[in-house]
Amino acid sequence: MTPNFAVIGVHTPAWQMPRLWIPLFLLWIPVVLLSPIIFLVLVAIAIAARTNIWRLIALFWNFLSGLPGTDIHVSAHGNNVLVRIL
Amino acid sequence: MNENRRQILEMLSTGKITADEAERLIAALESGPATSAGTSAAAATGSAAAAVKTRAKYLRVLVEADQEMTGLKGPTSVNVRVPMQLLRAGVRLASLIPVQAHQQFDEAMNKHGVPLTLSQIRPENLEELVDHLEDLTVDVNGSDANNTKVRVFCE
Repeated sequence: MTPNFAVIGVHTPAWQMPRLWIPLFLLWIPVVLLSPIIFLVLVAIAIAARTNIWRLIALFWNFLSGLPGTDIHVSAHGNNVLVRIL
Repeated sequence: MNENRRQILEMLSTGKITADEAERLIAALESGPATSAGTSAAAATGSAAAAVKTRAKYLRVLVEADQEMTGLKGPTSVNVRVPMQLLRAGVRLASLIPVQAHQQFDEAMNKHGVPLTLSQIRPENLEELVDHLEDLTVDVNGSDANNTKVRVFCE
């Protein structure tokens, strides 16, 4: 499954940002609109890498599908940064 | 008949576990005494699923360092969870590196003292590496005044 939401949180001693829920599924709208350009870019990459375009699409799709569950939490100097992909 | 094996067969006959689960439990029983003890205990509790080793889903990297180590005020911690599926997809992307770039990469790595031949690394080798990561646990604790802790494991 492709990522649906990204949660971003930044917390400093002086300022606390409310957690941002970014709806990544809405990115499908520009992706669909730009799909001819994206396809041309993928064809160019496939030619440069001397690989099959469908294999390339499968690779990127696998990568995209692997993103949900990624969780990064860094805390330093009293600052906290959280990035979570759901 | 072995007592553990009898227990598994009884569980199969009473329908507590499926034939597939029973087969896996017996295979685990035969693989070694160390694991069979744990397997039979799990079977005795009726939790067949617990006895069958589940595949790790995430790679966790935990780093904790104190202010003496980082020079920053207060402790520093990094907690990263990466899905194994993402790692597998990532290593497959390595196959996109153009062949003509391999030599340049090898030369650059050799220059920095890392004798690596990229063309000899196949995607299946990398996937095998990711599969074996599940058994890896790195636990580093700093000594004396250095309180840095690093843990890398799969869950």
